[in-house]
Amino acid sequence: MISPLQRHDKLVRATDLDALSCRFNANQRGYFIPPDKYIPEMIRSYQKHLPFCQGYTNLSVNRTLRAAFQEPKLPLINRGTYFRTKSIDIVLDDFISQHENKCQIVSLGSGSDTRAFRTLEKYPDSGVIYHEIDFPESTKIKRAAIVNNSEIMKLIKSGDLIENVAVSSREEFESLKSDFHTSVYHLYGLDLRKLTSSSVEFPHVDPTLPTIIISECVLCYLTPEENVQILSYWTDMFTSSCPTATMAFLIYEPMSLNDSFGKTMVKNLSGRGITLPTFEKFPDLDSRKQFYTGFGFNNANVTDLSVIGGYEKEGQSWITKEEFNRISSLELVDEVEEIKLLLRHYCLIFTGIGQNIRNVNLFNKDG
Amino acid sequence: MDLDTDVPMEDVSEEQQQSLNQSFDQGSSTAAGGANTSANGATGSGSHKTELNPSSISQLDGWLDKLSKCEPLSEEDVKKLCDMAIDVLQFEENVQPVQVPVTICGDVHGQFHDLMELFKIGGPCPDTNYLFMGDYVDRGYYSVETVSYLVCMKVRFPNRITILRGNHESRQITQVYGFYDECLRKYGSATVWKLFTDLFDYFPITALVDNKVFCLHGGLSPMIETIDQVRELNRIQEVPHEGPMCDLLWSDPDDRGGWGISPRGAGFTFGQDISEQFNHTNDLSLIARAHQLVMEGYSWSHQESVVTIFSAPNYCYRCGNQAAIMEVDEQHNRQFLQYDPSVRPGEPTVTRKTPDYFL
Repeated sequence: MISPLQRHDKLVRATDLDALSCRFNANQRGYFIPPDKYIPEMIRSYQKHLPFCQGYTNLSVNRTLRAAFQEPKLPLINRGTYFRTKSIDIVLDDFISQHENKCQIVSLGSGSDTRAFRTLEKYPDSGVIYHEIDFPESTKIKRAAIVNNSEIMKLIKSGDLIENVAVSSREEFESLKSDFHTSVYHLYGLDLRKLTSSSVEFPHVDPTLPTIIISECVLCYLTPEENVQILSYWTDMFTSSCPTATMAFLIYEPMSLNDSFGKTMVKNLSGRGITLPTFEKFPDLDSRKQFYTGFGFNNANVTDLSVIGGYEKEGQSWITKEEFNRISSLELVDEVEEIKLLLRHYCLIFTGIGQNIRNVNLFNKDG
Repeated sequence: MDLDTDVPMEDVSEEQQQSLNQSFDQGSSTAAGGANTSANGATGSGSHKTELNPSSISQLDGWLDKLSKCEPLSEEDVKKLCDMAIDVLQFEENVQPVQVPVTICGDVHGQFHDLMELFKIGGPCPDTNYLFMGDYVDRGYYSVETVSYLVCMKVRFPNRITILRGNHESRQITQVYGFYDECLRKYGSATVWKLFTDLFDYFPITALVDNKVFCLHGGLSPMIETIDQVRELNRIQEVPHEGPMCDLLWSDPDDRGGWGISPRGAGFTFGQDISEQFNHTNDLSLIARAHQLVMEGYSWSHQESVVTIFSAPNYCYRCGNQAAIMEVDEQHNRQFLQYDPSVRPGEPTVTRKTPDYFL
């Protein structure tokens, strides 16, 4: 039997399967250009290793994977997944080009996300270094996917010596390595909640390099105190070793907006055992802006995904007309009010310390 | 069979009286029913109507009984039901005349238990006359039961309930939004989906309440200026990708004047100028339509020349919206009844799959 805390952590980790199945579906539908060719390897690794993860049995693994991957997603979910992926990519590309390809990306709770590989593919032989951090269980699954795939191994400059990970028991899975380090890619298996100023160190993170830290639906599962603790950990690391450091946070997560949609979300997710501890405290963009600036960050650029998708004012959209027409032709979205309502409840926040965090044009389009 | 609350006992004795009135309605004898009975003679579609024989009635009542418990009919019974429904619906008009009093409803989308709630709030059919403006299937988990129930009611009480076609009553849309998959899941083949989508072709596309309230699923079309032009359309076909029939099922009112490109990729948006002109030309007091999620269940636009009615509370189990229906009485007074999702005691909600979020 697993403890309530272990169960909670298991359910939070399972949200990665939601995210992966959303990316899988959107990718199948042709939303991503170029197509994301790394997703199938992640799914294979889940299929192989989930039975040995905490709280799963062979039976529940089948059920879980079927629930995630068997039914196609609704067009509005595919489109929302596209906007989420695209908008984070846009900010990332902007950050990378601003720092002339010499920077670090740190992805918190990255799960099976493939952005690291897509980014390293897009910026080969540059100064872009990608770090990913997640629960050891999650990074073991990811590491197994990486070492099984020669293409990914080349991308992350680990040669092409593929390793065939074969696991047949919980003990064997337990003994798998959760970390992986190359010159451009670092994977760390650790619990983010353990990041306090003295306990954990990241020898591979260079605090003098401009750095963007991504939280894509990760900090939202932590308490306000844990949020502050994590923000402080990274801020202290950078400011203590480099007073002029540039460290940005890019945060994508749901907001309650204190309305009935938000309340329904809380109810539905709590039915799955998932809580959103900052939901009430920071219900909207204003309260979030206040929180991040109050924390001591230079500025907080905030917007929501409905604005980004052009559903509020066409001129504010981050998506070009041609691109919007392209994705519109992929499948019919029958209901505009519903997608608008859903997207309004997801924010994108770009904040942090350093010269370049001030006002980012994208977030402040007039429309 | 008599356990079914939607089919009151007095129905049977009512029948004789009704047939004396030259009416083919099998409604019961409430105040509303009385008002409607006298009007039935004037339901002037000039069409041929077949009276239900007692064995059909008992069969339909049996089906309604089963369906009201949210149990789907057998494939064989669906086939019989659809054949019976074609016999009724093929003689209805593109602009089906409807008498007051009537209760007008919007999208239901397979939320069967909320449909039962609707009948609790609005009063049981046939005591209350109903006009549904389409979108019975897709999205919700009980499209099969929902559409079976409504079609069954239509055949049982043809003059008490009007069911229009929505943009989801289509072969193409149902393959994306759930009805097709649900039929496969519940029947093991696409036969029932085929039967219903073939039937949808016969659904009327608009209704006219007492010559004053024009009811349809979506909205206006730049190719339609008068209601007579709707009468001229050939509706017995799959919903086309463009053209007047498509627009009637897909368009939306908009704050911007004139005609606009619809963000849905089908139909148009139309401004207040268009609505006012249409109402003036056709001597209408109101356009009632559904098609759009509105958080209060109903929403006025174009200075009360258009009303949107949405009858699926907490749409997709995710949106948190209220639902509403609109009662129109003999004096054309309108009243909105709002309601929340039905609470089903004893039924755990966790067995239902949580709707998708971005996690």
